Amino acid sequence: MTFVECENRVQELLSELHDIIKDTQKQREEGNNNLETIGKTHEKMQGEAKLSTYFKQKLRNLYSVALDDADVECDLLKKGLDIIAKIKALQEEKRIAARLSSYNPLDDQPRKSMRRGVLMSMLQKSAQTLPLWIGKPNEKVPPLCGAVSAGPDYIAKPGDKVAARVRTDEAEEQWILAEVVSFNSSLQKYEVDDIDEEGREHHVLSKRRVVPLAQWKANPETDPEALFPKGALVMALYPQTTCFYRAVISKQPTTAHEDYSVLFEDNSYADGYSPALRVAQKYLVVPKEMREL
Amino acid sequence: MSEASPRRPVSEGKGVKTSEISKPFIPSELARPSNLQKIQQRKLQVKNYPRIKKLEKIGVYSSCKELQDDNCKCNGWKNAQSTSNSGENQTSSQQLTTTVTLQDPCRACNHPLSTHVKHLDAAKDDEINRLLSMIVDVENLVVCVQKEEDTDTKQVYFYLYRLLRKCTLQTSRPVIEGPLGSPPFSQPSIGKAVTNFIIYKFGHLPQKEFQIMHELAKTFIYCLNQETLETPSTRTSRGQADDFNEYKMNYTRWLCYCRVPKFCESLVHHATVDVFGRPLLKSIFPLLRRRILDDFRSDKFHVPPDKRTLILSHFPKFLSMLEEELNASNSPIWDVDFSQMPAHMPLPSPRSNDSLSPGTPGSFPSLFSMTSPMGSLQTPIAVTPSGKRRADSGTQSSDDAKRARSSMQSDNDNTQQDFSLEVINEVVNMITDPAQMLGPEAANLSSQSARDEAARQEERQGLIEFHVVANCANASRQILTWLVEIQNVFARQLPRMPRDYIARLVFDTRHRTLALVKEGRVIGGICFRMFPSQRFTEIVFCAVTSNEQVKGYGTHLMNHLKEYHIKQSMYHFLTYADEYAIGYFKKQGFSKEIKVPRSGYVGYIKDYEGATLMGCELNPRIPYTEFSNIIRKQKEIVKKLIEKKQQQISQVMPGLTCFKDGVRQIPIESIPGIMNTGWKPNSDGKRKEIVESVESLFAPLKAIVQSMR
Repeated sequence: MTFVECENRVQELLSELHDIIKDTQKQREEGNNNLETIGKTHEKMQGEAKLSTYFKQKLRNLYSVALDDADVECDLLKKGLDIIAKIKALQEEKRIAARLSSYNPLDDQPRKSMRRGVLMSMLQKSAQTLPLWIGKPNEKVPPLCGAVSAGPDYIAKPGDKVAARVRTDEAEEQWILAEVVSFNSSLQKYEVDDIDEEGREHHVLSKRRVVPLAQWKANPETDPEALFPKGALVMALYPQTTCFYRAVISKQPTTAHEDYSVLFEDNSYADGYSPALRVAQKYLVVPKEMREL
Repeated sequence: MSEASPRRPVSEGKGVKTSEISKPFIPSELARPSNLQKIQQRKLQVKNYPRIKKLEKIGVYSSCKELQDDNCKCNGWKNAQSTSNSGENQTSSQQLTTTVTLQDPCRACNHPLSTHVKHLDAAKDDEINRLLSMIVDVENLVVCVQKEEDTDTKQVYFYLYRLLRKCTLQTSRPVIEGPLGSPPFSQPSIGKAVTNFIIYKFGHLPQKEFQIMHELAKTFIYCLNQETLETPSTRTSRGQADDFNEYKMNYTRWLCYCRVPKFCESLVHHATVDVFGRPLLKSIFPLLRRRILDDFRSDKFHVPPDKRTLILSHFPKFLSMLEEELNASNSPIWDVDFSQMPAHMPLPSPRSNDSLSPGTPGSFPSLFSMTSPMGSLQTPIAVTPSGKRRADSGTQSSDDAKRARSSMQSDNDNTQQDFSLEVINEVVNMITDPAQMLGPEAANLSSQSARDEAARQEERQGLIEFHVVANCANASRQILTWLVEIQNVFARQLPRMPRDYIARLVFDTRHRTLALVKEGRVIGGICFRMFPSQRFTEIVFCAVTSNEQVKGYGTHLMNHLKEYHIKQSMYHFLTYADEYAIGYFKKQGFSKEIKVPRSGYVGYIKDYEGATLMGCELNPRIPYTEFSNIIRKQKEIVKKLIEKKQQQISQVMPGLTCFKDGVRQIPIESIPGIMNTGWKPNSDGKRKEIVESVESLFAPLKAIVQSMR
């Protein structure tokens, strides 16, 4: 898909989204009428000693309409979310394409590097806009939603964000935020890029050194089991950096928009832990070896 | 006798009415409006004389041109018929026309009047009228010389009298020569400095308050232009003798260029505020201040009561602030280069377009223009709704144009065309309308935005606060809490500094800390120590807690610290930066070149081994916390203006066809349109010079490239 096609497609999707939002509002208003009638019917029934068949039948009809309304509204919202996901996918595609085209080793032009402050605010924004998992009642949350890790056979796609364990210049091991470039299935090795443009290094890493980040936020109100429990040991992205450090969950989020509170292991504090810092759901992972502990 | 005695013209002059003279008459009072009016009437009267009468009048002041009599030395025709008449009663012109003809002989040399006015035979009426006007001035000056009691002033009147007398004899134009020099005597002028003052001090105020200050400034300028300076001897008698010679010089200049020309139009008039600068204002300020306030208290100007209250309530403070700037050794308002484009004012507001125009001295504004002692018309202090004024007229927009020019001056003189106010406003509006510029995502941080933009926004929203705190005997609990918190931030972020050392300095009463507070907790700060006697401040510690870094807080902290110091008139920062801090300090405008003399800081500042001394000199005219914003906007404006200009002047030429016709070569300047681009043909010599300089540059540039590899 060319750049222009991509742009046009995004514009189409946006206008579709616009229509859906308007439809949703209309649908919601219609549904409200019915809900009000239900409320009024209940009030009227208060006066009667016994539940008459008339009211029984009436309520049954009203409730079934209300359920249908809710289903229609729900479908509309899901459609809208799908469109948003499509737009995001297109933009991701565009970004990766742009990145590949700038990834020319013969190109000796200095790379346009982003100021760290801008990179940090982008990382924050991408965590905030991570889609929320909306499942059907009693549906199990999928892998890569919240704390649910991907299965052992899962292969991250190019462009996906991962936590990657790399060897630093000082010959130490460090978990960094990186982006997948490719996966070599014969060698079972990932090729990843450091997210930080300054030290944008290329790493070839075995599968166990790469942990994909969550692709959906878990909703604490509907899927609390998909959250890390309080006291769990995780690797968390230290705020305003691109590195993951060991941390303990001190408080779970209570809404979809809230972050975890975590305590980072830090010897410079008397009790060995930093004060509580907030980290988004997206930036918490549990590598395999940690799980085995 | 080569000069007429000042007595004689008086016997014939009628410059001043006797009734006026009989009162205690101060010659400089001739500059009062009522007297000016009388002088004008008198000039008009003389101008309406019949020609012969005019010639007679001029003849009185003209030398005899009779050559046969061994060049007659007589320097003024005297009417033989009115030998003893003082002339006071000869107000009727008809009476004289009948008695005088060109043939009437001079009482002194017996040559006819015609020989005295021979040089005027071919003179146009304009010239004759000019001479007549000058003669009226001469006559008035005679009165001044006679009546003036102060010796210094009298001397000046006498000098000017002689100058004008000489010019009437030679029918030349008066030029004041000698040690006085020529105006302006000092730069910047008082008028300019006062404008600078209100921009510098009040530029940040909302429109309405700024307007009041603007009116006060105009009032001040008006008063100063009207002010009669105290004579050097009175001043000395008041005990102000320190700068006697300088004051006397300025006083003389003021008489010659400002006061006397007011009633002697033959001399070129200058407004006091235009030609004098800081030295004069300094020497007269205390008295001037008293007089102005007294004048308003006694309602000398007949200002309407509400305006009088406004003036009386604001003026004392205004004058005190002005006096402070007058005496401060490094006040920017006396800087010749002070930019009247106030950097810290939001550029796009229409306010900066109209209310800031330098109060043009001379043409006095709304407060007084109609409320002279003679009239009683009243105009309110104009708090004109912005925008309206823009549309009104000449003086205003020319001021604006001037300002626009100063901000985008080019050395290309004639081709330089100013942008009209409308164009500038349009551009300014375009860049301030975020939707037009950045699209709906403007609120997000983009790679375009400045490093401190996010922090600035957070401060505006009240998410972060900045406080300067220090330990002292009665420090509040809040301040002590903050100090403990900031000490913890420093200790954590500067692990190589001993904890107790940090605690000792943070709680030292001579050290202060600028603390950055977010959600009630200190998340960063700069600990500093001021050395007022050495005119510098040492940056002691500077840190932001690790999880709040890369958000622009460090830059914003340093900018706040800079503004804090500008308020205290401290303009130098010094610090010993360790290897990790050098990058930060460089971004904040520090350099390894130290502007403070070594002797000024050695022994004062804490020296760290292995650290680099860095310094930063502050510019009091920069509003640091808004600096990146202002620069960005200025860049946008200039860019847009360039685009506009390019659209305007872009021109398509038909192209050359001569080469098709077999011409091999044409002179460059014959290509149509090329001269319009400002291209100038290079002379051969110049080209040779360029070639030589290129050659001489080659070696050093090559060396640089080598060393960079």
